Amino acid sequence: MNIRQIAKRAEVSVATVSRVLNHPESVAAKTREKIEKIIAEEEYTPNWFARGLNFNKTGTIGLMIPHILDSVHMETAKGVEDVAHQKGYITFMCNAEEDEEKERRYLEQLIKRRVDGIILISSTLGEEAILNAMEQNVPIVFVGASKFNPGLSTVRVDCNQGAKTAVSHLVRNGRKKIAILVGNNPGSENRDKVEGYREVLAESHFPQREDYIMEVENSVEGGYLGAKKLMELAEPPDGIFATGDQIALGAMDAIKGMEISIPDAVAVVGFDNIRLANLVEPKLTTIDVPLHKMGVYGGRLLFDLIEGEEEENNRQILLQTKLKIRKSCGHKERIGEMF
Amino acid sequence: MVNTEFLGLELANPIIVAAGPWGRDGKSIKRCLDAGAGAVVTESIVSDALADVRPRIAYDGQGAQNIRLYSDVQIEGWEREMEIAKSGGGVVIASVSASTPSELAYLAGKMERFGADAIEISVSNPMWESLEVIASHPDTVFEMTKEVVSYVNIPVMVKLSQNTTNISRVAKAVRAAGGSAVSAINTVRSILSVDIETATPTLATYGGYSGPPIRPLGLASVATIAQTVDIPICGIGGIESYKNALEYMMLGAAVVQIGTTVMIEGPEKITEIVHDFEEYCNAQGIDSVTAIKGKALSKLVSFDEMRIEPATSTVGSVPCDIDCDKCLKSCMYGAISREKGTIVVEEPLCNGCGLCTFTCPANKLKLDW
Repeated sequence: MNIRQIAKRAEVSVATVSRVLNHPESVAAKTREKIEKIIAEEEYTPNWFARGLNFNKTGTIGLMIPHILDSVHMETAKGVEDVAHQKGYITFMCNAEEDEEKERRYLEQLIKRRVDGIILISSTLGEEAILNAMEQNVPIVFVGASKFNPGLSTVRVDCNQGAKTAVSHLVRNGRKKIAILVGNNPGSENRDKVEGYREVLAESHFPQREDYIMEVENSVEGGYLGAKKLMELAEPPDGIFATGDQIALGAMDAIKGMEISIPDAVAVVGFDNIRLANLVEPKLTTIDVPLHKMGVYGGRLLFDLIEGEEEENNRQILLQTKLKIRKSCGHKERIGEMF
Repeated sequence: MVNTEFLGLELANPIIVAAGPWGRDGKSIKRCLDAGAGAVVTESIVSDALADVRPRIAYDGQGAQNIRLYSDVQIEGWEREMEIAKSGGGVVIASVSASTPSELAYLAGKMERFGADAIEISVSNPMWESLEVIASHPDTVFEMTKEVVSYVNIPVMVKLSQNTTNISRVAKAVRAAGGSAVSAINTVRSILSVDIETATPTLATYGGYSGPPIRPLGLASVATIAQTVDIPICGIGGIESYKNALEYMMLGAAVVQIGTTVMIEGPEKITEIVHDFEEYCNAQGIDSVTAIKGKALSKLVSFDEMRIEPATSTVGSVPCDIDCDKCLKSCMYGAISREKGTIVVEEPLCNGCGLCTFTCPANKLKLDW
């Protein structure tokens, strides 16, 4: 029994049966139930590989994530997977570990395995690798800022604006010696955050001290080591902005270990709003990034291309960041907080 | 049949069902259309409907507080819901809500493809935005409206908030961005009550207040927009009868939306209001809402344009055997007294404030000059 015979028995077009298999929600309940009943009776199982031959689809997508241990990316990956799962697709997840060469090889492998589309989160790939992949006619969607993006569909937040909001918040709360712990990855996003940090200091007529800009590994450990170094300076900062919550959590651990009070002696503000941010003591003030939603939109844009809903691969979705005021910044009034 | 043209659409009548849980999916929207609604707005569709909070609706006998005014059906699911909603015909307006223009346009574009006849942008959700709702920033409303208008080919209406200092500026921004209409007002930021035994608010967070208590706010907002900006208006807020619908229309609304009354009384309420409205129009010989629209506006002037009549209560003494004494208690000028079954008004003391004419349950007191 094949799809044509199912369609014949149900007295519908092959396309309708295909829609029941691919997007059951788009078929009227009565028709769908009839077709599903026949599929069940005939014990018809669509063979994904065969379907690939029939419809030129393999029912798989590739998802490149920068680092599997970073909970930031897990939220986004879940968003992508939620959409893919709903579409009946399998997601191949590749852990690029912020290694350009590893990411390039994974991308080639995904294309060789004939995935129907690829999502690259905070990609480190250069022009050559991206253009080579594009020649294979596989739709590619970017999530977050990437090293090279020739204008393909992208979901992102404004990292520069988010950083400005965070640093301005420290300034408004009377902090004058503000340092930044910069994660070494993802590169372009963190560069935007450093820009935002510098812009706010300039607007506030604060001196820009290079020893207050500390590049660290994008992890709890990186934050721990960086903050320790900052607090050991002859003139330690009274406010620290970390480009990621993991770095901020590590920094808080180091500062507490040195028996320095947060936020009285030094205020800490993070970025991302990962789940743990609300569980540390004091609770971490941070920039909320709609991580799950970024994944969901990445999935949506990709499936719009796979399903031919969009012909041009150039859709830009900008999502909003929000300041999430908690306790680590020493803020007393909560005006502007989302509640 | 009362001719109603709104958003370039021909509606069977001007009674539209507002965005809310009573229109949360295809089945419930169809139920509202079957009950006779001129159109139904979907529950607000958002990008990423995750949190389902319970309990989320509280009611005090007059108004309701709702803390989750958005759909729990993801955008993908609306393809099927729209098919069900429109299976018996009827006009469906998709309410979409998001925090950035590109996100909003994406949702609106999808709903257009799924068969929505128009879009209502919700930029004023008092329960999940910050203290500064988007609808209080004309520039942001302009950007959002413009992006949606340029992306879809169906009419776009923007739902405004009363939680703003100058609603006319926002309405003007909508018009400048190419919006076809505004609807006003959305629910009002609220806390319904506090249980003093346990010192606990009724619901765990702020919510949107709706129902008859917000009607005076809605009426004022609609009248203000009608008097200042040339844009079609859909009146919303506490409508529970055809009379309330007429009030909104007489203050400039072309159509109205009902919500809380449908939530409390069920979809039969739609049938009742539509029936009563049509009966009124038939009796009055009205065949189009344009005959009613804005009729009361000429009698609504600014404070300094008021012509002051030297009115006082000239009734002298009126027989009254109701011993409520409400007029006595509420007369701040000491002009009213009671003498054995009679209410006596000393005209020289009367200041003409008019309050007694409202407090008297028997309507015995009047102002004149």
